[in-house]
Amino acid sequence: METAVRKKFSIKKVLFYLLIAAILVISMLPILWAVLLSFKTNNEIVNAPLALPDLWSFGNYQRAVDTIDFGRMYFNTIFIVVIATFFSVAITFMSSFAIARMTFKRKNTADYLYFYLLMGIAIPVYVLLFPIYRIDSLLGILGTRLGLILPYIAVNISFNTLLFVGFLRGIPEELEEAAVIDGCRLVGLCTRVVIPVMKPTFVTIVIFNAVYIYNEFPFASTFIQNDRLNTVSLMTSMFKGQYSMDYSGIIAASLMIMLPELVFYVFLQKYIIGGMTAGAVKG
Amino acid sequence: MYWLSTKRAKAFMLLPTLLIYSIFIIIPVFIAVYYSFTEYTGLGKAKFTGISNYIRMFGDKLFLIALRNTLLVLVLGTVFLLVGSFLVAHIMNVNFTGNAFFKMIIFAPYVIAPIIIGIIWGYILNPNYGMLNSFLRSVGLDGLAIEWIGGTKWSPLSLALVFTWQMLGFHATIFLSGIKAIPGEMYEACAIDGANGFQKVLFVTIPMLKETIIINTVLIITGVFKIYELVYQMTGGGPAHQSELLTSYMYFTVFTSRRYGYGMSIAVVILTLSIIGSFAYIRIVARKKQEGGA
Repeated sequence: METAVRKKFSIKKVLFYLLIAAILVISMLPILWAVLLSFKTNNEIVNAPLALPDLWSFGNYQRAVDTIDFGRMYFNTIFIVVIATFFSVAITFMSSFAIARMTFKRKNTADYLYFYLLMGIAIPVYVLLFPIYRIDSLLGILGTRLGLILPYIAVNISFNTLLFVGFLRGIPEELEEAAVIDGCRLVGLCTRVVIPVMKPTFVTIVIFNAVYIYNEFPFASTFIQNDRLNTVSLMTSMFKGQYSMDYSGIIAASLMIMLPELVFYVFLQKYIIGGMTAGAVKG
Repeated sequence: MYWLSTKRAKAFMLLPTLLIYSIFIIIPVFIAVYYSFTEYTGLGKAKFTGISNYIRMFGDKLFLIALRNTLLVLVLGTVFLLVGSFLVAHIMNVNFTGNAFFKMIIFAPYVIAPIIIGIIWGYILNPNYGMLNSFLRSVGLDGLAIEWIGGTKWSPLSLALVFTWQMLGFHATIFLSGIKAIPGEMYEACAIDGANGFQKVLFVTIPMLKETIIINTVLIITGVFKIYELVYQMTGGGPAHQSELLTSYMYFTVFTSRRYGYGMSIAVVILTLSIIGSFAYIRIVARKKQEGGA
Protein backbone atom coordinates (compact mmCIF):
# COMPACT_ATOMS: atom_id res chain seq x y z
CA MET A 1 0.00 0.00 0.00
CA GLU A 2 2.65 2.42 1.10
CA THR A 3 4.91 1.74 -1.91
CA ALA A 4 2.00 1.84 -4.36
CA VAL A 5 1.08 5.27 -3.16
CA ARG A 6 4.64 6.46 -3.41
CA LYS A 7 5.04 5.07 -6.94
CA LYS A 8 1.93 6.78 -8.23
CA PHE A 9 3.13 9.92 -6.57
CA SER A 10 6.48 9.81 -8.33
CA ILE A 11 4.95 9.49 -11.82
CA LYS A 12 2.81 12.46 -10.98
CA LYS A 13 5.95 14.19 -9.81
CA VAL A 14 7.73 13.65 -13.12
CA LEU A 15 4.76 15.03 -15.07
CA PHE A 16 4.56 17.94 -12.67
CA TYR A 17 8.21 18.83 -13.14
CA LEU A 18 7.84 18.52 -16.93
CA LEU A 19 4.99 21.02 -16.80
CA ILE A 20 7.08 23.37 -14.70
CA ALA A 21 9.99 23.03 -17.12
CA ALA A 22 7.73 23.82 -20.08
CA ILE A 23 6.37 26.96 -18.42
CA LEU A 24 9.86 28.09 -17.44
CA VAL A 25 11.10 27.61 -21.02
CA ILE A 26 8.23 29.69 -22.42
CA SER A 27 8.95 32.43 -19.87
CA MET A 28 12.68 32.60 -20.44
CA LEU A 29 13.08 31.70 -24.11
CA PRO A 30 12.42 35.18 -25.57
CA ILE A 31 15.12 36.72 -23.38
CA LEU A 32 17.63 33.94 -24.01
CA TRP A 33 16.87 34.19 -27.71
CA ALA A 34 17.58 37.91 -27.61
CA VAL A 35 20.91 37.21 -25.90
CA LEU A 36 21.81 34.80 -28.69
CA LEU A 37 20.82 37.28 -31.41
CA SER A 38 22.93 39.98 -29.80
CA PHE A 39 26.07 38.00 -30.69
CA LYS A 40 25.11 37.40 -34.32
CA THR A 41 25.71 39.66 -37.31
CA ASN A 42 22.81 41.23 -39.19
CA ASN A 43 23.50 38.89 -42.08
CA GLU A 44 23.31 35.85 -39.82
CA ILE A 45 20.05 37.01 -38.22
CA VAL A 46 18.32 37.31 -41.59
CA ASN A 47 19.88 34.40 -43.48
CA ALA A 48 20.51 31.78 -40.79
CA PRO A 49 17.87 32.52 -38.15
CA LEU A 50 18.30 29.34 -36.12
CA ALA A 51 22.09 28.98 -36.37
CA LEU A 52 24.59 29.88 -33.67
CA PRO A 53 26.86 32.81 -34.51
CA ASP A 54 30.05 31.93 -36.43
CA LEU A 55 32.00 34.22 -34.22
CA TRP A 56 30.95 35.17 -30.69
CA SER A 57 31.87 38.83 -30.58
CA PHE A 58 30.85 41.84 -28.53
CA GLY A 59 30.83 44.04 -31.64
CA ASN A 60 27.11 44.74 -31.40
CA TYR A 61 27.45 45.85 -27.79
CA GLN A 62 30.42 48.01 -28.73
CA ARG A 63 28.30 49.74 -31.38
CA ALA A 64 25.49 50.33 -28.90
CA VAL A 65 27.88 51.85 -26.35
CA ASP A 66 29.40 54.09 -29.05
CA THR A 67 26.02 55.49 -30.13
CA ILE A 68 24.05 55.73 -26.89
CA ASP A 69 25.05 58.05 -24.07
CA PHE A 70 24.26 55.50 -21.35
CA GLY A 71 25.40 57.73 -18.50
CA ARG A 72 23.11 60.60 -19.37
CA MET A 73 20.22 58.28 -20.15
CA TYR A 74 20.44 56.51 -16.80
CA PHE A 75 20.89 59.78 -14.95
CA ASN A 76 17.76 61.25 -16.62
CA THR A 77 15.68 58.17 -15.91
CA ILE A 78 16.79 57.54 -12.35
CA PHE A 79 16.47 61.22 -11.43
CA ILE A 80 12.85 61.23 -12.59
CA VAL A 81 12.10 57.83 -11.02
CA VAL A 82 13.46 58.86 -7.61
CA ILE A 83 11.76 62.26 -7.41
CA ALA A 84 8.40 61.15 -8.80
CA THR A 85 8.24 57.97 -6.73
CA PHE A 86 9.20 59.79 -3.53
CA PHE A 87 6.54 62.47 -3.89
CA SER A 88 3.88 60.09 -5.16
CA VAL A 89 4.33 57.76 -2.19
CA ALA A 90 4.68 60.57 0.35
CA ILE A 91 1.62 62.59 -0.63
CA THR A 92 -0.60 59.54 -1.16
CA PHE A 93 0.38 58.22 2.25
CA MET A 94 -0.65 61.54 3.77
CA SER A 95 -4.00 61.68 1.99
CA SER A 96 -4.68 57.99 2.68
CA PHE A 97 -3.99 58.54 6.37
CA ALA A 98 -6.49 61.39 6.36
CA ILE A 99 -9.10 59.26 4.58
CA ALA A 100 -8.64 56.22 6.80
CA ARG A 101 -8.16 57.93 10.18
CA MET A 102 -9.31 61.52 10.37
CA THR A 103 -12.86 62.60 11.17
CA PHE A 104 -14.86 64.92 8.95
CA LYS A 105 -17.91 67.03 9.69
CA ARG A 106 -19.98 65.07 7.19
CA LYS A 107 -19.70 61.35 7.69
CA ASN A 108 -19.46 60.50 4.00
CA THR A 109 -16.67 62.92 3.13
CA ALA A 110 -13.92 60.32 3.58
CA ASP A 111 -15.78 57.83 1.38
CA TYR A 112 -16.31 60.40 -1.37
CA LEU A 113 -12.64 61.34 -1.29
CA TYR A 114 -11.65 57.68 -1.46
CA PHE A 115 -13.94 57.06 -4.42
CA TYR A 116 -12.73 60.22 -6.17
CA LEU A 117 -9.11 59.14 -5.86
CA LEU A 118 -9.88 55.58 -7.03
CA MET A 119 -11.53 56.72 -10.26
CA GLY A 120 -8.13 57.04 -11.86
CA ILE A 121 -7.87 53.24 -12.05
CA ALA A 122 -10.45 53.27 -14.83
CA ILE A 123 -8.80 56.09 -16.81
CA PRO A 124 -6.31 54.86 -19.44
CA VAL A 125 -3.29 57.15 -19.62
CA TYR A 126 -3.63 57.49 -23.40
CA VAL A 127 -6.79 59.52 -22.89
CA LEU A 128 -4.70 62.01 -20.89
CA LEU A 129 -1.80 62.43 -23.33
CA PHE A 130 -3.07 65.37 -25.35
CA PRO A 131 -4.86 67.13 -22.46
CA ILE A 132 -1.74 66.96 -20.26
CA TYR A 133 0.27 68.22 -23.22
CA ARG A 134 -2.00 71.28 -23.22
CA ILE A 135 -1.81 71.71 -19.44
CA ASP A 136 1.98 71.41 -19.47
CA SER A 137 2.27 74.09 -22.12
CA LEU A 138 -0.21 76.29 -20.25
CA LEU A 139 1.90 75.97 -17.09
CA GLY A 140 5.06 76.60 -19.10
CA ILE A 141 6.63 73.27 -18.13
CA LEU A 142 6.25 71.41 -21.43
CA GLY A 143 9.47 69.66 -22.36
CA THR A 144 11.02 70.05 -18.91
CA ARG A 145 11.65 67.33 -16.34
CA LEU A 146 8.97 68.84 -14.12
CA GLY A 147 6.47 68.50 -16.96
CA LEU A 148 7.05 64.75 -16.86
CA ILE A 149 7.48 64.31 -13.10
CA LEU A 150 4.13 65.88 -12.14
CA PRO A 151 2.03 63.59 -14.40
CA TYR A 152 4.06 60.60 -13.15
CA ILE A 153 3.21 61.52 -9.55
CA ALA A 154 -0.44 61.85 -10.55
CA VAL A 155 -0.86 58.53 -12.41
CA ASN A 156 0.30 56.50 -9.41
CA ILE A 157 -2.08 58.14 -6.92
CA SER A 158 -5.07 55.85 -7.49
CA PHE A 159 -3.10 52.62 -7.17
CA ASN A 160 -1.26 53.87 -4.08
CA THR A 161 -4.49 55.07 -2.45
CA LEU A 162 -6.05 51.65 -2.96
CA LEU A 163 -3.16 49.94 -1.21
CA PHE A 164 -2.54 52.49 1.57
CA VAL A 165 -6.18 52.95 2.60
CA GLY A 166 -6.79 49.20 2.36
CA PHE A 167 -3.87 48.54 4.66
CA LEU A 168 -4.61 51.36 7.12
CA ARG A 169 -8.19 50.20 7.54
CA GLY A 170 -6.89 46.72 8.30
CA ILE A 171 -4.71 47.68 11.27
CA PRO A 172 -6.16 48.58 14.66
CA GLU A 173 -6.17 52.21 15.78
CA GLU A 174 -5.39 51.52 19.45
CA LEU A 175 -1.64 51.90 19.07
CA GLU A 176 -2.06 55.29 17.45
CA GLU A 177 -4.59 56.40 20.06
CA ALA A 178 -2.18 55.46 22.81
CA ALA A 179 0.57 57.45 21.10
CA VAL A 180 -1.70 60.48 20.79
CA ILE A 181 -2.62 60.28 24.46
CA ASP A 182 1.10 60.17 25.23
CA GLY A 183 1.35 63.54 23.50
CA CYS A 184 2.43 62.48 20.01
CA ARG A 185 1.69 65.11 17.33
CA LEU A 186 0.53 64.38 13.78
CA VAL A 187 3.92 64.26 12.05
CA GLY A 188 5.51 62.28 14.86
CA LEU A 189 2.59 59.88 14.90
CA CYS A 190 3.01 59.16 11.20
CA THR A 191 6.79 58.89 11.10
CA ARG A 192 7.35 57.09 14.42
CA VAL A 193 4.25 54.93 14.89
CA VAL A 194 2.39 54.33 11.64
CA ILE A 195 5.11 54.15 8.99
CA PRO A 196 7.27 51.57 10.83
CA VAL A 197 4.26 49.21 10.98
CA MET A 198 3.63 49.68 7.27
CA LYS A 199 7.17 49.14 6.03
CA PRO A 200 6.35 46.12 3.80
CA THR A 201 3.44 47.99 2.18
CA PHE A 202 5.75 50.93 1.51
CA VAL A 203 8.38 48.71 -0.10
CA THR A 204 5.80 47.08 -2.39
CA ILE A 205 4.33 50.43 -3.44
CA VAL A 206 7.73 52.03 -4.02
CA ILE A 207 8.82 49.15 -6.26
CA PHE A 208 5.60 49.20 -8.30
CA ASN A 209 5.76 52.98 -8.77
CA ALA A 210 9.45 52.91 -9.69
CA VAL A 211 9.06 50.07 -12.20
CA TYR A 212 6.14 51.84 -13.84
CA ILE A 213 7.97 55.14 -14.20
CA TYR A 214 11.23 53.51 -15.32
CA ASN A 215 9.44 51.70 -18.15
CA GLU A 216 6.95 54.40 -19.06
CA PHE A 217 6.96 55.35 -22.72
CA PRO A 218 3.89 57.28 -24.00
CA PHE A 219 4.21 60.25 -21.61
CA ALA A 220 7.98 60.47 -22.09
CA SER A 221 7.73 60.33 -25.87
CA THR A 222 5.05 63.02 -25.94
CA PHE A 223 6.28 65.50 -23.34
CA ILE A 224 10.05 65.30 -23.84
CA GLN A 225 11.31 66.97 -27.00
CA ASN A 226 14.93 67.53 -26.10
CA ASP A 227 17.34 64.63 -26.73
CA ARG A 228 19.39 65.67 -23.72
CA LEU A 229 16.50 64.65 -21.43
CA ASN A 230 15.91 61.23 -23.01
CA THR A 231 14.85 58.44 -20.69
CA VAL A 232 15.57 54.74 -21.02
CA SER A 233 12.48 53.73 -22.98
CA LEU A 234 12.68 56.81 -25.21
CA MET A 235 16.29 55.99 -26.03
CA THR A 236 15.44 52.41 -26.94
CA SER A 237 12.73 53.54 -29.30
CA MET A 238 14.90 56.25 -30.88
CA PHE A 239 17.79 53.89 -31.39
CA LYS A 240 15.47 51.51 -33.18
CA GLY A 241 14.05 54.30 -35.30
CA GLN A 242 17.46 55.61 -36.36
CA TYR A 243 19.19 52.30 -37.01
CA SER A 244 16.19 50.27 -38.09
CA MET A 245 18.30 48.00 -40.32
CA ASP A 246 20.88 47.26 -37.62
CA TYR A 247 18.99 44.31 -36.10
CA SER A 248 21.80 43.01 -33.93
CA GLY A 249 22.66 46.50 -32.69
CA ILE A 250 19.05 47.09 -31.64
CA ILE A 251 18.95 43.82 -29.74
CA ALA A 252 22.27 44.50 -27.99
CA ALA A 253 21.13 48.00 -27.00
CA SER A 254 17.79 46.69 -25.71
CA LEU A 255 19.52 44.06 -23.59
CA MET A 256 21.94 46.58 -22.12
CA ILE A 257 19.03 48.85 -21.22
CA MET A 258 17.10 45.97 -19.68
CA LEU A 259 19.97 44.46 -17.72
CA PRO A 260 20.17 46.84 -14.73
CA GLU A 261 16.45 46.50 -14.20
CA LEU A 262 16.59 42.71 -14.17
CA VAL A 263 19.46 42.79 -11.66
CA PHE A 264 17.39 45.02 -9.36
CA TYR A 265 14.45 42.72 -9.88
CA VAL A 266 16.35 39.62 -8.79
CA PHE A 267 17.22 41.32 -5.49
CA LEU A 268 13.84 42.90 -4.87
CA GLN A 269 11.42 40.31 -6.29
CA LYS A 270 10.65 38.79 -2.92
CA TYR A 271 9.16 42.12 -1.83
CA ILE A 272 7.05 42.37 -4.98
CA ILE A 273 5.70 38.83 -4.90
CA GLY A 274 5.57 38.75 -1.09
CA GLY A 275 3.73 42.08 -0.99
CA MET A 276 1.24 40.93 -3.57
CA THR A 277 0.54 37.59 -1.93
CA ALA A 278 0.00 39.39 1.35
CA GLY A 279 -3.03 40.84 -0.38
CA ALA A 280 -1.58 44.22 -1.19
CA VAL A 281 -2.74 44.50 -4.79
CA LYS A 282 -5.97 42.62 -4.32
CA GLY A 283 -7.10 45.63 -2.26
CA MET B 1 -8.62 60.25 15.65
CA TYR B 2 -10.72 63.35 16.12
CA TRP B 3 -8.09 64.93 18.37
CA LEU B 4 -5.83 65.46 15.39
CA SER B 5 -8.52 66.26 12.86
CA THR B 6 -8.20 70.00 12.81
CA LYS B 7 -9.04 71.81 9.60
CA ARG B 8 -5.42 72.77 9.10
CA ALA B 9 -4.15 69.24 9.63
CA LYS B 10 -6.67 67.80 7.17
CA ALA B 11 -5.79 70.39 4.53
CA PHE B 12 -2.08 69.72 5.02
CA MET B 13 -2.59 65.97 4.55
CA LEU B 14 -5.06 66.07 1.67
CA LEU B 15 -4.25 69.09 -0.47
CA PRO B 16 -1.06 67.94 -2.27
CA THR B 17 -2.71 64.76 -3.51
CA LEU B 18 -6.01 66.38 -4.44
CA LEU B 19 -4.28 69.20 -6.27
CA ILE B 20 -1.94 67.09 -8.41
CA TYR B 21 -4.57 64.40 -9.02
CA SER B 22 -7.20 66.93 -10.07
CA ILE B 23 -4.90 68.89 -12.37
CA PHE B 24 -3.27 65.94 -14.12
CA ILE B 25 -5.98 63.23 -14.08
CA ILE B 26 -9.49 64.64 -13.64
CA ILE B 27 -9.30 67.99 -15.46
CA PRO B 28 -7.62 66.31 -18.48
CA VAL B 29 -10.63 64.03 -18.81
CA PHE B 30 -12.87 67.08 -19.14
CA ILE B 31 -10.43 68.63 -21.62
CA ALA B 32 -10.58 65.43 -23.69
CA VAL B 33 -14.39 65.46 -23.62
CA TYR B 34 -14.42 69.16 -24.59
CA TYR B 35 -12.12 68.69 -27.59
CA SER B 36 -14.08 65.62 -28.70
CA PHE B 37 -16.92 68.00 -29.65
CA THR B 38 -14.64 70.23 -31.73
CA GLU B 39 -12.46 70.33 -34.78
CA TYR B 40 -8.95 71.43 -33.95
CA THR B 41 -5.75 71.27 -35.98
CA GLY B 42 -3.46 72.87 -33.43
CA LEU B 43 -3.64 76.28 -35.06
CA GLY B 44 -6.02 79.05 -34.02
CA LYS B 45 -9.10 78.17 -32.03
CA ALA B 46 -10.94 74.89 -31.76
CA LYS B 47 -14.20 74.96 -33.74
CA PHE B 48 -17.27 73.53 -32.01
CA THR B 49 -18.87 70.85 -34.19
CA GLY B 50 -21.24 69.05 -31.83
CA ILE B 51 -21.32 65.28 -32.05
CA SER B 52 -20.07 65.13 -35.65
CA ASN B 53 -16.81 63.44 -34.57
CA TYR B 54 -18.78 60.62 -32.99
CA ILE B 55 -20.91 60.22 -36.09
CA ARG B 56 -17.84 60.20 -38.31
CA MET B 57 -16.42 57.23 -36.35
CA PHE B 58 -19.05 54.84 -37.61
CA GLY B 59 -18.09 55.58 -41.20
CA ASP B 60 -14.34 55.41 -40.50
CA LYS B 61 -13.12 52.00 -41.62
CA LEU B 62 -9.80 52.36 -39.80
CA PHE B 63 -11.58 53.13 -36.54
CA LEU B 64 -13.83 50.09 -36.94
CA ILE B 65 -10.78 47.89 -37.66
CA ALA B 66 -9.03 49.25 -34.55
CA LEU B 67 -12.18 48.61 -32.51
CA ARG B 68 -12.48 45.06 -33.83
CA ASN B 69 -8.79 44.38 -33.13
CA THR B 70 -9.11 45.77 -29.60
CA LEU B 71 -12.13 43.58 -28.85
CA LEU B 72 -10.29 40.55 -30.29
CA VAL B 73 -7.24 41.18 -28.10
CA LEU B 74 -9.60 41.76 -25.17
CA VAL B 75 -11.40 38.42 -25.58
CA LEU B 76 -8.30 36.35 -26.46
CA GLY B 77 -6.14 38.01 -23.82
CA THR B 78 -8.77 37.54 -21.10
CA VAL B 79 -9.24 33.84 -21.91
CA PHE B 80 -5.49 33.08 -22.22
CA LEU B 81 -4.59 35.02 -19.10
CA LEU B 82 -7.38 33.81 -16.83
CA VAL B 83 -6.83 30.15 -17.69
CA GLY B 84 -3.03 30.42 -17.79
CA SER B 85 -2.60 32.37 -14.57
CA PHE B 86 -5.10 30.18 -12.71
CA LEU B 87 -3.06 27.12 -13.66
CA VAL B 88 0.27 28.76 -12.85
CA ALA B 89 -1.04 29.99 -9.48
CA HIS B 90 -1.85 26.39 -8.52
CA ILE B 91 1.68 25.36 -9.40
CA MET B 92 3.03 28.26 -7.33
CA ASN B 93 0.95 27.03 -4.41
CA VAL B 94 2.61 23.58 -4.43
CA ASN B 95 5.60 23.13 -2.18
CA PHE B 96 8.39 21.93 -4.48
CA THR B 97 12.12 22.44 -4.82
CA GLY B 98 12.71 25.57 -6.85
CA ASN B 99 9.34 27.12 -6.07
CA ALA B 100 10.88 30.53 -5.34
CA PHE B 101 12.91 30.40 -8.56
CA PHE B 102 9.77 29.46 -10.51
CA LYS B 103 7.88 32.45 -9.09
CA MET B 104 10.77 34.76 -9.84
CA ILE B 105 11.07 33.72 -13.49
CA ILE B 106 7.32 33.76 -14.17
CA PHE B 107 6.95 37.27 -12.77
CA ALA B 108 10.06 38.71 -14.47
CA PRO B 109 8.48 39.77 -17.81
CA TYR B 110 6.19 42.13 -15.88
CA VAL B 111 9.11 44.39 -14.93
CA ILE B 112 10.63 44.56 -18.43
CA ALA B 113 9.76 47.75 -20.33
CA PRO B 114 6.92 47.02 -22.79
CA ILE B 115 8.88 48.80 -25.49
CA ILE B 116 11.71 46.26 -25.16
CA ILE B 117 9.25 43.36 -25.00
CA GLY B 118 7.82 44.61 -28.30
CA ILE B 119 11.28 44.71 -29.89
CA ILE B 120 12.29 41.24 -28.71
CA TRP B 121 9.01 39.59 -29.72
CA GLY B 122 9.26 41.32 -33.08
CA TYR B 123 12.35 39.19 -33.73
CA ILE B 124 10.53 36.05 -32.65
CA LEU B 125 7.31 36.59 -34.60
CA ASN B 126 8.77 38.13 -37.77
CA PRO B 127 7.28 35.96 -40.54
CA ASN B 128 10.49 35.79 -42.57
CA TYR B 129 13.45 35.48 -40.23
CA GLY B 130 11.70 35.19 -36.84
CA MET B 131 12.48 32.33 -34.48
CA LEU B 132 8.97 30.87 -34.45
CA ASN B 133 8.51 30.48 -38.19
CA SER B 134 12.13 29.39 -38.76
CA PHE B 135 11.58 26.67 -36.20
CA LEU B 136 8.22 25.62 -37.64
CA ARG B 137 9.71 25.39 -41.14
CA SER B 138 12.72 23.44 -39.94
CA VAL B 139 10.47 20.75 -38.44
CA GLY B 140 8.29 20.63 -41.54
CA LEU B 141 5.27 22.49 -40.15
CA ASP B 142 5.30 25.09 -42.92
CA GLY B 143 1.52 25.32 -42.78
CA LEU B 144 1.72 26.79 -39.28
CA ALA B 145 4.31 29.38 -40.29
CA ILE B 146 1.71 32.12 -40.66
CA GLU B 147 2.15 35.88 -40.82
CA TRP B 148 2.11 36.37 -37.04
CA ILE B 149 2.81 40.05 -37.48
CA GLY B 150 2.97 42.29 -40.52
CA GLY B 151 -0.01 40.64 -42.20
CA THR B 152 -3.63 41.68 -42.10
CA LYS B 153 -5.06 38.76 -40.17
CA TRP B 154 -3.10 37.39 -37.24
CA SER B 155 -1.70 40.44 -35.47
CA PRO B 156 -4.43 40.58 -32.78
CA LEU B 157 -3.68 36.96 -31.86
CA SER B 158 0.04 37.75 -31.62
CA LEU B 159 -0.64 40.82 -29.50
CA ALA B 160 -2.81 38.76 -27.16
CA LEU B 161 -0.11 36.08 -26.88
CA VAL B 162 2.67 38.56 -26.09
CA PHE B 163 0.40 40.39 -23.64
CA THR B 164 -0.28 37.05 -21.95
CA TRP B 165 3.43 36.27 -21.76
CA GLN B 166 4.07 39.67 -20.19
CA MET B 167 1.27 39.61 -17.60
CA LEU B 168 1.06 35.91 -16.69
CA GLY B 169 3.14 36.14 -13.51
CA PHE B 170 1.35 39.26 -12.29
CA HIS B 171 -2.13 37.77 -12.54
CA ALA B 172 -0.96 34.36 -11.26
CA THR B 173 0.43 36.08 -8.17
CA ILE B 174 -2.93 37.76 -7.54
CA PHE B 175 -4.63 34.36 -7.90
CA LEU B 176 -2.08 32.87 -5.52
CA SER B 177 -2.96 35.38 -2.83
CA GLY B 178 -6.62 34.44 -3.28
CA ILE B 179 -5.88 30.71 -3.11
CA LYS B 180 -3.82 31.14 0.05
CA ALA B 181 -6.77 32.88 1.71
CA ILE B 182 -9.06 29.84 1.27
CA PRO B 183 -9.30 28.02 4.63
CA GLY B 184 -7.80 24.51 4.56
CA GLU B 185 -10.88 23.09 6.32
CA MET B 186 -12.90 23.64 3.17
CA TYR B 187 -10.73 21.14 1.32
CA GLU B 188 -10.71 18.71 4.22
CA ALA B 189 -14.50 18.71 4.35
CA CYS B 190 -14.51 18.18 0.62
CA ALA B 191 -12.09 15.25 0.90
CA ILE B 192 -14.23 13.61 3.56
CA ASP B 193 -17.14 13.78 1.15
CA GLY B 194 -14.96 11.89 -1.33
CA ALA B 195 -14.20 14.63 -3.82
CA ASN B 196 -11.25 14.24 -6.19
CA GLY B 197 -8.78 16.98 -7.08
CA PHE B 198 -10.76 18.23 -10.05
CA GLN B 199 -13.98 18.42 -8.01
CA LYS B 200 -12.15 20.35 -5.30
CA VAL B 201 -11.12 22.96 -7.84
CA LEU B 202 -14.61 23.12 -9.33
CA PHE B 203 -16.62 23.22 -6.11
CA VAL B 204 -14.29 24.93 -3.66
CA THR B 205 -11.52 26.89 -5.36
CA ILE B 206 -13.49 28.58 -8.14
CA PRO B 207 -16.48 29.66 -5.99
CA MET B 208 -14.16 30.86 -3.22
CA LEU B 209 -12.09 32.82 -5.73
CA LYS B 210 -15.06 34.60 -7.28
CA GLU B 211 -13.86 37.99 -6.15
CA THR B 212 -10.26 37.37 -7.18
CA ILE B 213 -11.46 36.22 -10.60
CA ILE B 214 -13.44 39.44 -11.02
CA ILE B 215 -10.49 41.55 -9.91
CA ASN B 216 -8.16 39.78 -12.31
CA THR B 217 -10.66 40.12 -15.16
CA VAL B 218 -11.01 43.84 -14.56
CA LEU B 219 -7.25 44.34 -14.35
CA ILE B 220 -6.88 42.44 -17.63
CA ILE B 221 -9.56 44.55 -19.31
CA THR B 222 -8.02 47.84 -18.19
CA GLY B 223 -4.62 46.37 -19.09
CA VAL B 224 -5.68 45.75 -22.69
CA PHE B 225 -6.57 49.44 -23.00
CA LYS B 226 -2.99 50.22 -21.99
CA ILE B 227 -1.37 48.19 -24.77
CA TYR B 228 0.42 50.59 -27.05
CA GLU B 229 4.15 49.92 -27.12
CA LEU B 230 3.64 46.35 -28.34
CA VAL B 231 1.70 47.56 -31.39
CA TYR B 232 4.16 50.39 -31.95
CA GLN B 233 7.18 48.08 -31.97
CA MET B 234 5.79 44.86 -33.43
CA THR B 235 3.70 46.12 -36.34
CA GLY B 236 3.66 49.91 -36.22
CA GLY B 237 -0.09 49.50 -36.71
CA GLY B 238 0.54 48.33 -40.25
CA PRO B 239 0.21 47.28 -42.94
CA ALA B 240 -1.98 50.27 -43.80
CA HIS B 241 -3.38 50.52 -40.21
CA GLN B 242 -4.78 46.98 -40.36
CA SER B 243 -3.29 45.94 -37.00
CA GLU B 244 -4.03 49.17 -35.11
CA LEU B 245 -5.64 49.05 -31.64
CA LEU B 246 -7.84 51.89 -30.39
CA THR B 247 -4.96 53.33 -28.35
CA SER B 248 -2.47 53.30 -31.21
CA TYR B 249 -5.03 54.58 -33.70
CA MET B 250 -5.88 57.43 -31.35
CA TYR B 251 -2.18 58.23 -30.95
CA PHE B 252 -1.83 58.28 -34.74
CA THR B 253 -4.89 60.52 -35.19
CA VAL B 254 -3.73 63.01 -32.58
CA PHE B 255 0.02 63.19 -32.90
CA THR B 256 0.68 62.16 -36.50
CA SER B 257 -2.28 63.44 -38.50
CA ARG B 258 -2.99 66.21 -35.97
CA ARG B 259 -6.76 65.81 -35.95
CA TYR B 260 -7.02 66.63 -32.26
CA GLY B 261 -10.81 66.83 -32.06
CA TYR B 262 -11.41 63.50 -33.75
CA GLY B 263 -8.59 61.89 -31.77
CA MET B 264 -10.17 63.03 -28.51
CA SER B 265 -13.50 61.52 -29.49
CA ILE B 266 -11.70 58.18 -29.91
CA ALA B 267 -10.10 58.79 -26.51
CA VAL B 268 -13.55 59.27 -24.99
CA VAL B 269 -14.66 55.94 -26.49
CA ILE B 270 -11.60 54.22 -24.95
CA LEU B 271 -12.39 55.87 -21.62
CA THR B 272 -16.03 54.77 -21.74
CA LEU B 273 -15.14 51.15 -22.53
CA SER B 274 -12.54 51.11 -19.77
CA ILE B 275 -14.94 52.59 -17.20
CA ILE B 276 -17.61 50.02 -18.03
CA GLY B 277 -14.98 47.31 -17.55
CA SER B 278 -13.75 48.70 -14.24
CA PHE B 279 -17.13 49.36 -12.73
CA ALA B 280 -17.41 45.93 -11.13
CA TYR B 281 -13.99 46.36 -9.50
CA ILE B 282 -14.80 49.68 -7.87
CA ARG B 283 -18.08 48.23 -6.64
CA ILE B 284 -16.30 45.32 -4.99
CA VAL B 285 -13.85 47.63 -3.25
CA ALA B 286 -16.71 49.87 -2.11
CA ARG B 287 -18.76 46.92 -0.83
CA LYS B 288 -15.81 45.45 1.04
CA LYS B 289 -15.42 48.76 2.78
CA GLN B 290 -19.07 48.79 3.84
CA GLU B 291 -18.67 45.34 5.31
CA GLY B 292 -15.91 46.85 7.42
CA GLY B 293 -13.16 44.60 6.10
CA ALA B 294 -9.83 45.79 4.75
